[in-house]
Amino acid sequence: MGLNRKTAVIGTAIAAPPPDDPRSLEELLYDVTQAALIDAGMSIEAIDGIVVGSNDQFDGRAISVMMASGSVGGVDRDILSTPSAGEHAFVMATLRIASGLYETHLVVSWSPTEASSMAETQRLGADPYFHRKLPLDELAGAALQANSIASATPGVHDLATRIAELNLNNGSHAYPAAAAQTAEAGALPWPLRDGMVSAPATGAVALVIASENYVAAKGLTNIAWVNGMGWATESGYLGDRDLNQAEALEAARDRAYADAGITNPLETLDVVELTDASPYQQLLVSEVLGLSARADWESDVATGIFTKHSALAVNPSGGVASFNPVFCTGLIRIAEAANQVRGTAGAHQVKGAKNALAHAASGFAMMYQSVLILGDQPKGAAA
Amino acid sequence: MTAPRVGIIGIGQSPFTRRRDDASYPDLVREAVIGAMRQADLDFDAIDGTVYSLSPDAMVGIGNAETLGVDAVGGRNKPFLRINTGGATGISSVAAAYYHVASGACDVVLTAGADKVGECGDSQTVLNKIWDPTYERQLPHGTITMLAMSGIRYQHKYGMTEEDMARVVVKNRKHAALNPNAHLRTEVTVDDVMASRMISWPIKLMDCCPQSSGGGAMVLASEKFIKQNKLDVVWITGVGHCTETYYQGDRMGTGQTADHADAYALGKACWRSYKMAGITDPQKQIDVAELYAPFSNTEFHSIEAAGLANVGQSVPMVNEGRFSIGGEIPVNPSGGTLCTNAIAVTAMIRVAEVALQVWGKAGGHQVKGAKRGIATGNGGDHQFFGTVVVEA
Repeated sequence: MGLNRKTAVIGTAIAAPPPDDPRSLEELLYDVTQAALIDAGMSIEAIDGIVVGSNDQFDGRAISVMMASGSVGGVDRDILSTPSAGEHAFVMATLRIASGLYETHLVVSWSPTEASSMAETQRLGADPYFHRKLPLDELAGAALQANSIASATPGVHDLATRIAELNLNNGSHAYPAAAAQTAEAGALPWPLRDGMVSAPATGAVALVIASENYVAAKGLTNIAWVNGMGWATESGYLGDRDLNQAEALEAARDRAYADAGITNPLETLDVVELTDASPYQQLLVSEVLGLSARADWESDVATGIFTKHSALAVNPSGGVASFNPVFCTGLIRIAEAANQVRGTAGAHQVKGAKNALAHAASGFAMMYQSVLILGDQPKGAAA
Repeated sequence: MTAPRVGIIGIGQSPFTRRRDDASYPDLVREAVIGAMRQADLDFDAIDGTVYSLSPDAMVGIGNAETLGVDAVGGRNKPFLRINTGGATGISSVAAAYYHVASGACDVVLTAGADKVGECGDSQTVLNKIWDPTYERQLPHGTITMLAMSGIRYQHKYGMTEEDMARVVVKNRKHAALNPNAHLRTEVTVDDVMASRMISWPIKLMDCCPQSSGGGAMVLASEKFIKQNKLDVVWITGVGHCTETYYQGDRMGTGQTADHADAYALGKACWRSYKMAGITDPQKQIDVAELYAPFSNTEFHSIEAAGLANVGQSVPMVNEGRFSIGGEIPVNPSGGTLCTNAIAVTAMIRVAEVALQVWGKAGGHQVKGAKRGIATGNGGDHQFFGTVVVEA
């Protein structure tokens, strides 16, 4: 089902503070919110509603949205929180605008690194009886998935290494400071290796979105239309899943492509921003999205489909492999894709990008899957 | 653009109690979901997506504990996301489900959740962690002390006594005795309440909600789906949210942004949903209310914020029976949050109970002739407020 009316991204801001940044989390959120509002050319008074995505364990607070409500301008306003994933805040805000009850929304997500051990906070997400003792953190989940993919695909380890190099090269332009730390990710579970994954970093992201009516009334042109949106979940238990498959991504893909009228993604899309917690996941996601069939992975890597200079630019930002604020990486993918369509991506701008796909994944081995199709023109349902 | 109509077609709730040793956390979710699906007379293929209702993870002891509920709601490979606005989570989840349908994204949406507050150890220890670790966490602060300060302020401004608070408990326990799903169903007297031990002045033990375990679920659907399938329905006609400050200190002293005695943002949320529902005089147009009031004193400012009494004037009206079953506008005929509080779904149950009332399906605690009602939810440190208007 398509939505009842169109929504567009009209402002974005991504914060990648250096490790010695003196700002508190509240100050960081205030700054990133203000930057997104400035990018949208509006003040907080023009915001009808706010949806934030944050994680209590990472923040060290119960109901972590509470702390943020002042920083993001939530006092006296309507604010919701989606602790399941940062990207779910975008989904929720888009649904609210499509309902006709809101014209504008602010979407914010963040991920601090003040917890003494990110791995331990992630282990709390495993059920206490079956999985918590493994121990299982997100890297371990990515490694289990990598092994599952590798067991079905001989030679994939070499491809993963080459993709990691491509991502780091891209990231050295988009997030040079963060990308430089990727090699310092620490001890990694097999088969993940140095350079394939990025150490968790502090980051925040804010987007301003608006209805088609608001866009028309204000005469906005530097925008990215949300032409397709799909989101779905896998089972919560890893043991119930085939990690060499991504059924929830298939469901999210089908919905987003149907919304946007996409039948041949390679032909339609100019840019893709994938959530690549590991290069193995990037390959699996590329297969499911119809960008690179598994039988073609080797030739596609060799001919450059995964570089930012190919006909389809993949992860020109360097992806999660270059900058990894864990909880908000998915929402950053959406902001990066919107920036590409708006021509505001800066040093890693892909020339002439008109249609972009943002893939966001969260949880153990990409449990939550979301696909957003963004374009410089309204297309598909409700267009 | 006018939002399409969205209906409630199924409701499920547990018989709430302190402990459910017979059921795991996902079992409780499933219990409520089965109840809602049975009333809606649908199978899971008809569900397009799920909004999962869960407040602090720490209450369950599992990070992102919604992941354990995915299979309990039949959510695999479907749209699924979780909402958390603290105690308001349940009503925010109903609102989120409403937007799923009103946006055109889904025809039928399930919202569900559960909590095991009675088995979490001490909820106040968890809830202390909602405050800023530098400024307010170390007082030490809890939701009881937070709303005790509101009670003191309300006493000072409007003359409420501890006996007045006790009469709210007497009323709601009497109502809960008629509701088989309520947790605290034993009727009490003013003397019983006054004799219960002091927790945080002026709040005594019986002025407090219990720590409850149980689940809640609701099925919402589009008008098109409801008409095509000729379903029995009540309608959501108003939805509103509003937020207060995070820091308690911002609600006190000379530089306050709102008075802690009142429920300023709750009032704004109520009027947002009233405006959407076309309600201009709630004292005449509302038949029944389920107002989230976890402590007896907070029912007074909730009644006033909902516009069912003028500010500072609800105390004598409660004492006169205006808000009791049989009165003009029964408030919390289910017994309310004061008698049942499984935090993740408490505010959802407020909507569910109003829906049952206007549906004429509330059983022993039915309010005669109820056709339109309001439900509210409060979350955070009396910070997030959600409201929903439901009509037959």
